Amino acid sequence: MMVTGPWRKRARQRFSEPSRRRGLLVAFEGPDGSGKTTQRKLLKTWLKSEGYSVVTTKWNSSDLIKPIIKHRKAIRALSPEEFSLLHAADFRHRVEHEVLPALWDGKLVIADRFLFTGLARDCARGLDLDWVLNLYQPLLWPDLVFYFSVSPQTSSARVSATRTPNFYEAGQDVTLIEDPTESYIHFIGRVIREYEALSTIFKFTSVDAEQSVHDQHREIRRLFREGEQRPWSDWNLDAVAEWLALRDGTA
Amino acid sequence: MKPRARAKAALTSVDGVHAGSLMQEARRLASASGARGTRAGISYWDASGIFGDLQAKGSALERPSARTLLLLYAADLAFRLRWEIRPALAEGRTVIAAPYVDTAMALGRAAGIEEGWLRSVFDFAPIAVERHYVDGAITTGRGKGLVEFACRHLLNVETRATRQDLVARAHARLKATRHRERG
Repeated sequence: MMVTGPWRKRARQRFSEPSRRRGLLVAFEGPDGSGKTTQRKLLKTWLKSEGYSVVTTKWNSSDLIKPIIKHRKAIRALSPEEFSLLHAADFRHRVEHEVLPALWDGKLVIADRFLFTGLARDCARGLDLDWVLNLYQPLLWPDLVFYFSVSPQTSSARVSATRTPNFYEAGQDVTLIEDPTESYIHFIGRVIREYEALSTIFKFTSVDAEQSVHDQHREIRRLFREGEQRPWSDWNLDAVAEWLALRDGTA
Repeated sequence: MKPRARAKAALTSVDGVHAGSLMQEARRLASASGARGTRAGISYWDASGIFGDLQAKGSALERPSARTLLLLYAADLAFRLRWEIRPALAEGRTVIAAPYVDTAMALGRAAGIEEGWLRSVFDFAPIAVERHYVDGAITTGRGKGLVEFACRHLLNVETRATRQDLVARAHARLKATRHRERG
């Protein structure tokens, strides 16, 4: 690890301090068209009404790296490795500048897609899970991962109803299928298989995204209440300690 | 007269903290390769323009950490491998990659990042057949190298002292790598 000693100790002290309201990290994961964004907004509104201070972070959204990725996607210049590495860089930058500062301040962070999006998409592009997982080290595990489970057909139908999937979203870089909609159906099937495997490994909280919006929201509230009581995970010690060292100007 | 045997096309790396010395050595190696009968091309960093784009943003945005910067360097290296290095090797040319993996490893180690993470990130890059290291003058100023870029843009490397410290540690790491290679 980059840092040891004092920052790990500080992080551990904070993790076990019962008097302070802890920050919570809630991730929304699932394929396009699974209704994540709708549910994320509903949960945010409800949490605010419950008195939580809520911060949202979205996939591929850092001011520093997003424009770089956007430009390269537009000209279809990314190989699977470059795609993966750039998204991991964007993620790392947001973890260090948005997510961990907010959690440390006791805020609730809702992530509209988290590192599992990178894992599922990159593995669907044929990259090795261990290699991709290492890019995201030190890992920051969410307290809750809501996985919105839909079939490839539902995802495809919902996406196609509003727009034509773009080149990378449709996975045309790896399927080599000319028609974006047809490519999307093939590619999202692979992504969903990867998500399902990750869901089993990392014990996601699965939400049946074929249910009505209202029923999903009620279920999410209930699951949130159950998950809220969990203690800080020691898995996150390395990530928090490294960020503390960066913040204090020593790394 | 027996024709001179053509040297086999190969990937050669040149690593060092000082961009000027790095480029000079890359040009020297390319010219020597040409004299032996093998055309050689040089692959510099930032062929993808990622770092040029970052530089263009100036100081208005939050600075990246070393880990973030190295992920970006790895993305640039993947680009170089795809568009410059592998195609040239396939055409039977020698490629001189300046810098390659060891400079990034040294920068990462200097910033305190664990070696295992760095090795795994750069695992996709083939090992160079020949590895060269340049000393060069240690500067923290306006050079065009990766380490010099890090000095200007990295989080927590804002003061002259921290920059000098980073460069000195990266330089020492590269020296250690060179000794290990020769040992």
